[in-house]
Amino acid sequence: MVTRLALKKTIAVVSLVSFSVLWLAAASSAIAASEPGPQEVQAPAIEAWQREFDHVCSKTQDAMGFSEQELAVLIQRCDTLQTKIEKLDETRKKVYAGRLKMCRGLYAYVLESKRNDKK
Amino acid sequence: MHTYSNRKGTTRNEHAFSMPTLVCAVFFLTSVAAAQFYLPPPPPKQPADYGKVILNSQISKPNSPGAVSFDHWLHRSKFTCRICHVDIGFAMVANTSGIRAESNRQGFHCGACHDGRRLFDGKPVFAACKDTPANSMCERCHSEGKKSARKYEYSTFTARFSKALYGINWESTEASGVIKPVDFIEGISIKKSEMKSREDFAINSGVIWVHPVFFSHEKHSLWNGCELCHPEIFPTARKSAVQYSMFSNIEGRHCGACHLKVAFPLNNCQMCHPRAPRWAQQ
Repeated sequence: MVTRLALKKTIAVVSLVSFSVLWLAAASSAIAASEPGPQEVQAPAIEAWQREFDHVCSKTQDAMGFSEQELAVLIQRCDTLQTKIEKLDETRKKVYAGRLKMCRGLYAYVLESKRNDKK
Repeated sequence: MHTYSNRKGTTRNEHAFSMPTLVCAVFFLTSVAAAQFYLPPPPPKQPADYGKVILNSQISKPNSPGAVSFDHWLHRSKFTCRICHVDIGFAMVANTSGIRAESNRQGFHCGACHDGRRLFDGKPVFAACKDTPANSMCERCHSEGKKSARKYEYSTFTARFSKALYGINWESTEASGVIKPVDFIEGISIKKSEMKSREDFAINSGVIWVHPVFFSHEKHSLWNGCELCHPEIFPTARKSAVQYSMFSNIEGRHCGACHLKVAFPLNNCQMCHPRAPRWAQQ
């Protein structure tokens, strides 16, 4: 009688311990899966100004095909973007202001050449 | 007809002959002397040094890692000019980009690629200015004036490259397939439409004894993109608004912005002034 009771207690304890161990293992693996590993790189969230920058400056190779009006709009968008870039930290400001200057400059250059061709 | 004697009359004739000669000689010598100021400087004797850029050469702080010695030939073999000078934003003049260890660590300038994670040829590119004390990797870039072993050595690295009068002929090296410069880097470059081929054209020389320049707009735009040259280097599309000349080139403007420092040097006249364009010779 006593032996049977002891056996029941032992089974209950072993079951409880096993269940706890399994639960902890499952929980920790779930937490690990949600965190990036050392080799994984989280893509930085693209800010609105950067999306606009990518959009405006992605058209430089098509500049010759744009109308004067389209070029004027692109130049205007560059100027608006410039004020946003001015507010960034020093390094990003320097890098992106330089890059923006190049695409704005090209649109202005093509616009000028189109106007000259008309003369 | 002059006769030389000690008589008074002929002495005056001698003066009449020698004065124009003297004036011409002085004029000629002055022109030659003046021209010396406007001859392209000779490229370095070692082709490996052509295009070398020394960054922060003025560093004098005691704990400074020293100046960076940047070899253009190494990076040029792997990337187009546009990747670094447009997409990453390196200025065309040394020491004006504002490169700092901190900006590299933030993922700008050298750190745009050298972040320790980006794979190139299947291997991660070493991280620039990694934030560890006494980093033994510093000398990999901060190598100016040090006898540290650079990983790549010019003669071995460029052994299979086509050579020209002064160093590497990049155009034929690429055409032969030995190198395939990358023109897009994920996370750095902006996705653009394919570059439309620009028309090549001839630029007539101002003097009859110099052959016209046959300019490959196609090759230049493929390697550089449009915005690297226009309007910064070639500022206006208006004909005759700017006088492009060898003088301006030698001063480092126009063609000289690249062809005095990195691309084949101006001394290699026939690269720009061939008798006929290559497409006409074929």
